[in-house]
Amino acid sequence: MIRTCLCITVLTFSLFNALALLAAGSRYFGPTTQQGQEQTVEVKIDNFSFSPATLTVAAGTTVTWINRDDIPHTVVSSDDSRVFKSKALDTDDRFSFTFTRAGTYSYFCSIHPKMTGKVVVQ
Amino acid sequence: MQSPLYADLVLFLEIGIALGLLVGAWLARKRKFREHAWCQSVAVLLNLVLVAVVMVPTFREQVSPKIPAKLGKSYVGLPAAHGALGGIVEVIALYILLAAGTKLLPERLRIRRYKLWMRTVLVAWWLVLLLGAATYVRWYVPLPVRH
Repeated sequence: MIRTCLCITVLTFSLFNALALLAAGSRYFGPTTQQGQEQTVEVKIDNFSFSPATLTVAAGTTVTWINRDDIPHTVVSSDDSRVFKSKALDTDDRFSFTFTRAGTYSYFCSIHPKMTGKVVVQ
Repeated sequence: MQSPLYADLVLFLEIGIALGLLVGAWLARKRKFREHAWCQSVAVLLNLVLVAVVMVPTFREQVSPKIPAKLGKSYVGLPAAHGALGGIVEVIALYILLAAGTKLLPERLRIRRYKLWMRTVLVAWWLVLLLGAATYVRWYVPLPVRH
C-alpha cells in the first residue's frame, strides 16, 4: 500500500514536472505572441538570399523581412497584382506583411531578380 | 551572380564601347581619321543612349535617394563617383565630337590641342568603366565567404 502511494506520488510529481517543462518550452520555442493575437514570423535577408526561402504559416500571420545584408534589397510579390511590395530596404530595415488568405505567395527582390522566396499560407 | 539581365547587358556593351574607343585611337595613329571619327562618334553616342535609357533611371531610383546620408557606404559611393565622373567625361566627349567633327561651334569655342583632350578623355573613360564594373560587383556579386 505504501509502495503504491509512493509510486502514485512519484508519477504525479513527474507528470507535473513534465507539464511545467512543456509550458516553459512553448514559451521559449513556440510562437512569439500569445494565443488569440496574430503571430509574427521573420525572414532574414543575407548574402543575396532569403532565409528560410520557403516559409509555411497559418492565415493571419505577419511575416517580417529583415535585411541583414550590406546591400539594399526589396521584397516584391511575384503575382501580377503585386499583393505586397516593399521599398528598397537598407541594412537592418524591415518590411512586414500580414497574410490573411490561404495560398502560396512567391516573391523576389526587384533589384536582384534571381533572389526568390515563397510563403505558403495554410 | 544576382544581376538582372539589363545590368549584364549594359556591362557587356560598356566594355565593348571602351574597347571600341581604343580601336578608334589606334585608327587615328594609323592616320585613318575618317574611320577614327566614325568609331569614336558611335561609341560616345551609344554610351549616351545607355546612360539616358538605363543608368539615369536606375540611379534615380536606387542610389540618389540615399545621397548624401549613405554616401560613405560603398554601394552608394561607387555609383555616385561613377555617375559624377562619367557625366563629366560624356559631356567632354560630346564637346570634342562637336568641336572636331562639325562646324556648329563658333571659332573661339573650338579645341586646338585635340590630342591632349582626346587622350585625357580616353584615360578618364576607362577609369569610369572601372568604377562602373566595381559598382556592378558591389551591387550584384555575393561575397564568397561571410562570417
